[in-house]
Amino acid sequence: MAIRFEDVNENLRCIFLSGRLDTAGSEEIASEFAQLAESAKGGVVVYLSAVKFLSSMGIRVLVTGAKAVQARGGRMALHVAENEVVIRTLEATGINELIPTFQDANDAEKAVVK
Amino acid sequence: MWDARRAAGWLESEALAQNVPLEQIVRLDHCLDEALANVIRHGGPTALSSPVHLQFGVRRGVGACTAELSISDAGVAFDPSTFAIAPHPASLVDASPGGLGLLLIRNFSDELSYCHSQDRNHLTITVSWVEEA
Repeated sequence: MAIRFEDVNENLRCIFLSGRLDTAGSEEIASEFAQLAESAKGGVVVYLSAVKFLSSMGIRVLVTGAKAVQARGGRMALHVAENEVVIRTLEATGINELIPTFQDANDAEKAVVK
Repeated sequence: MWDARRAAGWLESEALAQNVPLEQIVRLDHCLDEALANVIRHGGPTALSSPVHLQFGVRRGVGACTAELSISDAGVAFDPSTFAIAPHPASLVDASPGGLGLLLIRNFSDELSYCHSQDRNHLTITVSWVEEA
């Protein structure tokens, strides 16, 4: 499981996740992800296109981050591209209805920048 | 949870050896991860002090095939096949993390069966597919 981020500008932080966001992988990145979501100054886009596996623990990490962003008045969106496994998991749990989810990266970035 | 990673590796190699399609392996992989996470989080001390037993098998009929993953643990009796799952939350504020693992197990499997015997939970997860002749 790997995590990295890029502050595109002061209004947009992109967080890139890759690998298995299974229970073990989610625990590995949970605190770093939470810190990145909380400390962003503007909107946050989480890139999930390179995630091979998304568990309920991974969803918990995403939801916790989205709540932190929302609590400081920001927005978080997910970029899933054509990742069918991730899309299926998000749809099965209804999380795609709570955290805006996009197949197009530009749409995701537009959705979080005020 | 590193044991869960080992279990996932075992499942993948068993399934590939029996020519199970990748889509079905991914589905079983998700179910296994969630089931083991439940055992570790909610099974209690007896679950953590006793080994979890895994079994895997494939049945091929005329066209229709099934793969069965059986998970047996010594934790608190719990039937994931009938446990009531809360409806999807209406907003992010209302979202609570509980229950999503069971939701995923039900979504990714085609059939779940459960029994409790000899002080162990026995959960069997089945996925199905059709093979061209």
